[in-house]
Amino acid sequence: MSEETLYIQHFHAGAASLAYYQEKMQGYQAFPKAFAMGQAKVIDEVKVSALRGRGGAGFPTGMKWGFIPQASPKPKVLVCNADESEPGTFKDRELLRYTPHLLIEGMLIGAYAIGARSCYIYVRGEYVAEARILEQALKEAYAAGLLGEKVCGLDFACDITVHRGAGAYICGEETALLNSLEGKRGEPRVKPPFPAQSGAFGCPTIVNNVETLTAVPFIISRGGAWFASLGRIEKSGGTRLISVSGDVKKPGVIEIHAGSMTIRQIIFDACGGILGDRPLKAVIPGGSSAPVLTADEIDVIYDIEPLAKIGTMMGSAALIVVSDAHCMVKLIARITKFYAHESCGQCTPCREGCRWMEDVLERIEHGHGRVQDLGLLTDIADQIQGKTLCALGDAAAGPVMSFVKKFRADFEAHIRGGKCPNAS
Amino acid sequence: MPKCIIDGREAEFSVGENIVDIAKRIGVSIPVFCYHPGLSVVAQCRMCTVEVEKMGKLQTGCSTPATDGMVIHTNSQKVLDARQSTMEFLLVNHPLDCPICDKSGECDLQDYSFEHGSQYSRYTEERRTYVDLDMGPVIQKNMNRCIHCTRCIRFADEIAKLPEMVAMQRGNATEITTADGRPLETDYAGNYSDICPTGSLTLKDFRFHKRAWFLKKTPTICAGCSRGCSIELQTHDDHVYRIIPRENQAVNQYWMCDEGRFMYHAYQEESRLCVPWFDGQELAWQEALQQLRAKMTGALFLVATDLTHEEVDAVSQLAQFYGAQLLAFGSDTDADYDAILRRTNMAANFHGLKRRGLSWYAGQKAELVIIVRAGRTKLPQLGETPWVGMGVFWEKEKTPSCQGILPGLSYLEKNGTVTNFQGTDQALKQAVAVPGMCRSVPEIVMQWMHGGERG
Repeated sequence: MSEETLYIQHFHAGAASLAYYQEKMQGYQAFPKAFAMGQAKVIDEVKVSALRGRGGAGFPTGMKWGFIPQASPKPKVLVCNADESEPGTFKDRELLRYTPHLLIEGMLIGAYAIGARSCYIYVRGEYVAEARILEQALKEAYAAGLLGEKVCGLDFACDITVHRGAGAYICGEETALLNSLEGKRGEPRVKPPFPAQSGAFGCPTIVNNVETLTAVPFIISRGGAWFASLGRIEKSGGTRLISVSGDVKKPGVIEIHAGSMTIRQIIFDACGGILGDRPLKAVIPGGSSAPVLTADEIDVIYDIEPLAKIGTMMGSAALIVVSDAHCMVKLIARITKFYAHESCGQCTPCREGCRWMEDVLERIEHGHGRVQDLGLLTDIADQIQGKTLCALGDAAAGPVMSFVKKFRADFEAHIRGGKCPNAS
Repeated sequence: MPKCIIDGREAEFSVGENIVDIAKRIGVSIPVFCYHPGLSVVAQCRMCTVEVEKMGKLQTGCSTPATDGMVIHTNSQKVLDARQSTMEFLLVNHPLDCPICDKSGECDLQDYSFEHGSQYSRYTEERRTYVDLDMGPVIQKNMNRCIHCTRCIRFADEIAKLPEMVAMQRGNATEITTADGRPLETDYAGNYSDICPTGSLTLKDFRFHKRAWFLKKTPTICAGCSRGCSIELQTHDDHVYRIIPRENQAVNQYWMCDEGRFMYHAYQEESRLCVPWFDGQELAWQEALQQLRAKMTGALFLVATDLTHEEVDAVSQLAQFYGAQLLAFGSDTDADYDAILRRTNMAANFHGLKRRGLSWYAGQKAELVIIVRAGRTKLPQLGETPWVGMGVFWEKEKTPSCQGILPGLSYLEKNGTVTNFQGTDQALKQAVAVPGMCRSVPEIVMQWMHGGERG
């Protein structure tokens, strides 16, 4: 942990002010530099940096920005997705709370690169304090001439608006977010057209995660190659904020160089080991939607591609650690209940299937399961996976399939015993 | 033109066309629930999934535009499995009350269930149920049967231009309902029942009157206004049970208004005069016509704007025979009524009569006026002038100055040609038998002029 970190040293009270950002973080110096570079060069620099989206899909950011049709006569829009709702994920909250100006500058550079004047920050509804901090930071920035008609005194106009969500998980999906931003029902849209063609208010739109945008000022001020070199693995640059929760001694947000540690190292070295020194039972590596890993599978480099190779995903980098003190059936029942509750109800497999899985899991958890239920569960999950309009269906189906596959004995014990074997 | 290959068959298409439409054109049927060619595409039901080569996941045929050289499979095992699983999901909360459901026999859900569904259900949990609010006089709602295709919501927004249908709640509990639970307000509410792929929205007017499979279907034209929507009269035993719109891109696309949909009831009412009636008594045709022939000096013929060209021809022959004048009556203006379908002129052949160059009745004096009309045109103000009606009349229209009525045919019972507001000549088709002793106008005229002993 002696390596250079970008964010975590600034996560303390008092870091949110403009004065702190300008003094301690060379604030608002990257934007004039980006402006001098020109739009195409900024996008190229981000491409070189190997910055991948931090929201969950891990899409290369520079490539995404390149999709904006510059020739389109419509105004371009940049949206920051701060609707961080995946159970287990809480890294963006720290960034919003402590480094709002870093986000604002990142958005300025992004807006400049894609030619957007209007920017929106879509903040999760429950992040009330964070929305206030953002509003305060925006006020400071406007007063200092860092936003508005002439940003930093340069010939570039940019406005940022904070939009608070109303509490739906699905609004973290980018097209549902855009619908919600427009004042419509938060339901994902059919793709194509992709947001880069027709997004917010029908205009070409880029939606980026908070952490993604906060990386941009570093890339501009210190160079894409330097940023890429922070990553210890190919095709993944920079450092990653990881939300560690569950049965570890030191839960919280940690920052590591991309691909520099295995899950075992994160749990036992960075987070002090398992709570109460109990045996490790399972790890959910990328927020509750990621397929689960057993205790034997944690010697894997914690980054996008190594995890994808073993059939799970890094998602939004939320590590949920589960010790043997917890019932795996109860855990997946609770996770599935979440997805069934948050399903928007548009498309058939997700609307009907998630609730069905929830009901079956609840039955098994309470000891009313039948032997054929396990086959049924995998069947339903299989019928959802890859067949839905947005990724929520996959998010619900993946964990169920992996739990049933990897912890089948736990399910069978519930079914045979008629109750949870852990229950007293 | 770009080409794609669907199930081994080559198909040409224009850029932007989706797979479902192209497939349909070359005779490959892809099942759909939420897709409707007249509404926006939402790709929600996932029934139309197809396999596209070089694309990893199954694609929805409704939302995937074809590209040149695309190879599409609509019948691979992967596709069939996906369809079966979609059917299973759609049916887990469906009440399966087909025997008492009005949609039965013409239900997409039922048909596709037969084709793609499983014989067995694996669902043992409690079914989702809703409480239905009244949706007004046209539509009966049964939310339990709903499969959340949202066609009704899109119809309200995009066609009726009145966003009165909404989705409430979320996820599995999503309820399709009217905004604030109010009754429907649109004049096009009947279409909700047509586009609903299940028995969730049915017509109150048709409910429990006839099983769909008994209905005989006659394609014809609506006579409700100068638009002349393409419709289908659905009848059984010479009784009209329902009217639904037919697709006609040039005139009414897929829709029709409620007035046109329900106006047929008037012609099946008891109060319609179906026996020749003269000077206060019912007579045989021969006697009625005999009495009329004696009164024709100074007669004036008035034809309504809802008559067919054939009927006007016949009447004008009769007028010529007596050397009498022939004038038109009925509203002589026409305009868009609501920017959707309805026109302000409620006569089927107003533009036809205009084109024929007929003059309009403007209070010309006569000894006797012969009024010929097909049903709805408002009778002209004749004052004390005695008149005789030929065509469709009701009991209430027997004014003191009415000398007689020769019962004729409505648009349900005759063939003929009418001209719509675009100048298109369209054909009416007879769907039910002539009621009572009614006769068509040409028939009456023939007998009037050359009549023998018949009748």
